[in-house]
Amino acid sequence: MSLHDPFIVAGREFGSRLLTGTGKYDSFETMREALTASGSEIVTVAVRRIDLDAREDDITAFLPEDVLLLPNTSGCETAEEAVRSARLARAGGLPDWVKLEVIPDPRYLLPDPVETLRAAAILVEDGFTVLPYVLPDPVLQKKLEEVGCATVMPLASPIGSGRGLKLRDAIRIMVEQAEVPLVVDAGLGSPSHAAESMELGADAVLVNTAIARAGDPVAMARAFKLAVEAGRAAFHAGVMAESVEAAASSPLAGAIHEP
Amino acid sequence: MTSVSVNGRDQAVEDGETVAGLLERLGLGARYALVERNGEPVERARYPEVRLEDGDRLVVARPVAGG
Repeated sequence: MSLHDPFIVAGREFGSRLLTGTGKYDSFETMREALTASGSEIVTVAVRRIDLDAREDDITAFLPEDVLLLPNTSGCETAEEAVRSARLARAGGLPDWVKLEVIPDPRYLLPDPVETLRAAAILVEDGFTVLPYVLPDPVLQKKLEEVGCATVMPLASPIGSGRGLKLRDAIRIMVEQAEVPLVVDAGLGSPSHAAESMELGADAVLVNTAIARAGDPVAMARAFKLAVEAGRAAFHAGVMAESVEAAASSPLAGAIHEP
Repeated sequence: MTSVSVNGRDQAVEDGETVAGLLERLGLGARYALVERNGEPVERARYPEVRLEDGDRLVVARPVAGG
């Protein structure tokens, strides 16, 4: 594997293949330390109305320097709401990159494919770099690529569930036919899930809860960083083919007890 | 005086007040405030020049923790 293996999105190079979210940390100080330990260069934020009665800290003051802020459209249930949220963020000075999520279902937080595709087309047309969050659907992937999305980001399992790759075969098909980077986003509960995604050929993973809610978020951020690097290296090295039967590692002939 | 609504709450402002002036009045001057006026996003560079009109509906938002 070449040492220079950048993750390239919309022509921009990143050294890290681990994207991280900023939600669910106990404090912004812990978040900052964990983000630094993760080595992430792309960090998501949400956009919400300011509570005029509260005096809350400004999250942007706690983010490591040089990371790309990736505003999401969480909380939006239709294409129109997502487009409105993205445009507000961009006008106010956030990057013109958007993690597009359109989620009408509060129980499983599953994204609406029809509204996501509709919003993606509008936002690409409007000059955004669009990173849509979707179910692992290879047909939808092609449609999102056709309208000009910069990545496609299928979920491993529901957001915050920590259950790992539950639709592995669908993601394998997406890897095989991907024309823009494939980022496994949501549901990764442990570094082994991240490594598995990378071994499968995902270009990157996005992790939030598994780091933020770990016993030691900073140590877990480092563990995810290593897992993503290991998984990527394994992908390049070529993972061996599985077989149902055993294949001995030691010579079958010449055992000591033989006559 | 001019009256506008900010995140659903009525707010009195000086006649001719700008978006930047309103943010300062709300104590948000130094923040990463994102502003929508009557359903249209306002470019940050224009905060000092966009003047509020009576009855304007404003949404003021900001980046927060999220995944």
